[in-house]
Amino acid sequence: MAMLQMKRFGAAGVAALLACSSFAAQAATDGTMGATSQGSVGISASVPSRVQISKLTDVAFARQDPGTAASNAQNVCVFSNTATKGYNIKATGSGSSSAFTLANGSLTVPYTVQWAQTTGQTSGTSLTTNVALTGQTSLATTPGCSSGVATSASLVVQMSTTALQSMQSSTNYTGTLTLLVGPE
Amino acid sequence: MSVRYGLAALCACAIALCGSPASAASNNVRITGLTDVAFGSLTGGDVVRAQNLCAYSSTATQGYRVTATGSGSAGAFTLANGGSALAYEVQWSSASGQTSGANLAPSIALTGQASAATQQQCNSGPATTASLILIVRGTAAAAASGGSYSGTLTLILGPE
Repeated sequence: MAMLQMKRFGAAGVAALLACSSFAAQAATDGTMGATSQGSVGISASVPSRVQISKLTDVAFARQDPGTAASNAQNVCVFSNTATKGYNIKATGSGSSSAFTLANGSLTVPYTVQWAQTTGQTSGTSLTTNVALTGQTSLATTPGCSSGVATSASLVVQMSTTALQSMQSSTNYTGTLTLLVGPE
Repeated sequence: MSVRYGLAALCACAIALCGSPASAASNNVRITGLTDVAFGSLTGGDVVRAQNLCAYSSTATQGYRVTATGSGSAGAFTLANGGSALAYEVQWSSASGQTSGANLAPSIALTGQASAATQQQCNSGPATTASLILIVRGTAAAAASGGSYSGTLTLILGPE
């Protein structure tokens, strides 16, 4: 069985903090004495650019027929609070030099990773380890897709027949795929 | 002459009568000591900004009501960044030094407030008499678009 454990990096890990803006709102005014008295305060706040990836699930290819390629697609949530709701995504595996490989001791087997910026997909753009896929946008309106769309993107993990046929039988291969999302 | 004096006396009387309701003239209020509110960079969790101010009322009970309106649509308590909005909450306490109070709704008076102020700008007696508390919830900030937000909160005091 090949087991792939997902890691997610939330807003805290990938937030690109904008510099806190200086106060630019209207200056406070006091009221005058009278039958009514009116005063006002200016209020300012800034929200840094943030992204969050969530709803990831582990991937298990169990008792896979080596003659048939294995594919696992899952729907995930990517939230971006930028004006365009844009983001980039970078994947790294747990193999040597962050390769997309599973391992059992010295035994290794490769897998491939694809990403689609829409949910419900079984294929997408192939990712290269540690290389950001840019220009993605999300339909998520809240962090964690707590309201609005339930998921916003698709992660597809595949193992080719060549890879499956290279595996030693009755041997568990495991690894971790880490996904890092940044705002755009 | 007697007619002229009579008219003069009548006028004097009328003037005196017009100025007689001294109690109505003294039903004055004043709000002072307000300062701008900077929430800074909202990176998570609720952010509370409280300030002490002077609310003065000259009524016999030193009572007053307070009405708040924001600069959002229909007076909503929202800050703006272009087309994006960030909601905040407003609370009021008739005591100084508080970090929580009664929730205010836009354009709806909070009645039954009383002030300990003895001077209209709190230049003597207590330096401040009330607390204004503004809150941006973490959930609101987390769902807001990135950027700089600003707005204005207007407070109106009335005597009671």
